[in-house]
Amino acid sequence: MAKRIVLRMDYCIGCRSCEAACRSRFKGEARIRYGEVGATVFLPLSCRHCEEPLCAAACPFDVIRKDKETGLVLRSSFHCVGCRSCALACPFGAIDTRLLRRASQKCSLCSDRTEGPRCVTSCPTGALQFVEVGEPGEPRVGVGYAARHANWRRP
Amino acid sequence: MSTTRTTTCPFCLNGCTSGVSFDGYQYRMDYAVDAHVNRGRLCPRGNSASIVVDHPKRLSYPLLDGRETTWQQAGELVRQWLRAAGAGGLAIVYSRGRAADEVRRLHGLARELGTPYLACGHVEPENAFNHRLAGVEDATLEDVQSAKAMLLVGDVFNTSPVASWRMLEARYADRKNRLVVVDSLRTRQSGFAHVFVQVRPGTEPFALLALAALLDRRLSGVDVDRHAALAGVERGLLETAAKALEPKTPGFVGSAMHPGRVRHPALHSLASQLVARAAKKPFTGFRETALPFGPTGFSSLREAVAAGKVKMLFWTGGLYPGSYHELMPELDKVEHRVATAIFVPDPPIPGLVLPLTAELERSSVGGSYWGEVKRAPVASPFSGSRGFADVLGLLGRAEEADVAAPKPESVEAVIAMAAGAVAAERASDGWLLVGEKKAIGIRGFFDDEETILVNAADAGRLEVDDEDYVAVKGPVAEAAFQVHVSGQVPPGVLCVGTNVHRNRALFPLGVDPATGETVVGPARVEVEKAGVKVGPASETRAV
Repeated sequence: MAKRIVLRMDYCIGCRSCEAACRSRFKGEARIRYGEVGATVFLPLSCRHCEEPLCAAACPFDVIRKDKETGLVLRSSFHCVGCRSCALACPFGAIDTRLLRRASQKCSLCSDRTEGPRCVTSCPTGALQFVEVGEPGEPRVGVGYAARHANWRRP
Repeated sequence: MSTTRTTTCPFCLNGCTSGVSFDGYQYRMDYAVDAHVNRGRLCPRGNSASIVVDHPKRLSYPLLDGRETTWQQAGELVRQWLRAAGAGGLAIVYSRGRAADEVRRLHGLARELGTPYLACGHVEPENAFNHRLAGVEDATLEDVQSAKAMLLVGDVFNTSPVASWRMLEARYADRKNRLVVVDSLRTRQSGFAHVFVQVRPGTEPFALLALAALLDRRLSGVDVDRHAALAGVERGLLETAAKALEPKTPGFVGSAMHPGRVRHPALHSLASQLVARAAKKPFTGFRETALPFGPTGFSSLREAVAAGKVKMLFWTGGLYPGSYHELMPELDKVEHRVATAIFVPDPPIPGLVLPLTAELERSSVGGSYWGEVKRAPVASPFSGSRGFADVLGLLGRAEEADVAAPKPESVEAVIAMAAGAVAAERASDGWLLVGEKKAIGIRGFFDDEETILVNAADAGRLEVDDEDYVAVKGPVAEAAFQVHVSGQVPPGVLCVGTNVHRNRALFPLGVDPATGETVVGPARVEVEKAGVKVGPASETRAV
């Protein structure tokens, strides 16, 4: 079964260690993005490796492809022309519109590393987890987050 | 084939085990997932350790007034300057980046040479955790993990991100567990709090003293209502916090301090410990480095330099090369200056600059919150750099000497110190600039900290919005920043990151009247909208 990154929002402290780990490895590329919600909540945004990736459909040069064996959506940095079509097509905003070395930045779940993505390993609080899709023990995300924010509480 | 070596991360005192692998071409971070303290987890600082090792701006030769020179010439110059200055005219300063054994060696060298000036130049407020209150125990990892009531003062999560996971596990372990946060900014950490006590910037000690008095009714000399009013919080909120921290509940108290946010560092440290004592909980002061103060206070050293008594200055540590202006504007009066550096100083600094091996390239002994740790070198020394013992050898040979720990303070002394601070408290208007120490902001590698946090109401007053620019003029420097409208700061308060020296220069150095120590507190500034982008914020100009 394919493994994916899952965020436990209750544990994210917004330290951006995931981003630092990514940049350290990929020579300045931050393939994980982040978004801020209000003043105190922070959401790392990583590629979800969609079943039917819109970024791959939007790529005019077929640089982004879905690997049939692993289910990973991978991009060839050599062939990327930096047109940003993938960034515009991604419904989750997981691909940055800023280019680095004239290519878009796309998460590969650290496919060079057998132990899993670096962002997950280095996450200080364990907010990022690398789990099997549909795993029974998949963490319940955001329960505490919902409890501590007025917007999500019942009146 | 790559080789991986493990060591203890040197960038804060959590004592995380980290690995560095080398494939013959590049150093990369690796993760020790079986480590007891961190289980392989690393914060942004830890993740950037390998970047430091082969950074393109590493210094690989001695510099004399910004020009390349040789180690032989540098050695001759140092000996010549030392003879000219004499032991009485030599000052030695150490700051961030020096380990415990290296500081002991410096103390030994100062005694051997007979210099009267040996000071700690680590003026970050966190160094005030050297002040200890009698009768307060140090927290252990088990205390944190099994805590049912926690008090965090300041932004502990950003100071030691990896230490925070045990606190979050404890917070979520039981619905009855309570987390209390006392801070002047609405940080992300405050989002996890059950009780968030937001105080006026720099008034944390007053809120903490009131909290201690509510927890321990025998504590005399603290007027709860007066202290709460000074901190700008309601008594009812402090009573709720006191109820959450009641002495019979196991837990711990953690405190952190940040440059530009603390006005009374010693009192901040001692008041945090006073709450721990009143709540019968162990205490941890979260900080990036633990350096003893040294026999000469840094403020006294500045006076000696200004008076022209210091002829030669040897400065070893992270702050000097980049913090020249804001740390010691009097430094121009010192004739001969020697500093150690890991990176090429930008802009160039006068005097002799000696390239030193980075933390990961030498072995050292250091402290951690949870006990003493030993670090092994995991990378080869950078070309042209030398180890700490070799650099000290230019001044003379000396063995390590014991450094006396400060005597623990009594509760009465803390109350008296607080009374002095209360008497000196004055209301003032205008913009207040405070500092934030973001974990991601290390050395400006990941975040160049060119944004300023502005409250939405203030943004309306200034007629600015996100991505507009404002010009900030402080007492000693001015700079331009890009606006980020945020609810993290209260009205009248602006916030910038203090990891980069450009921003730190906006905060003038002061002196704590209670202890005579140097203080980097919130700064009164003038702010106005910059009509057009007035240049990158990196161009901080002296006023």
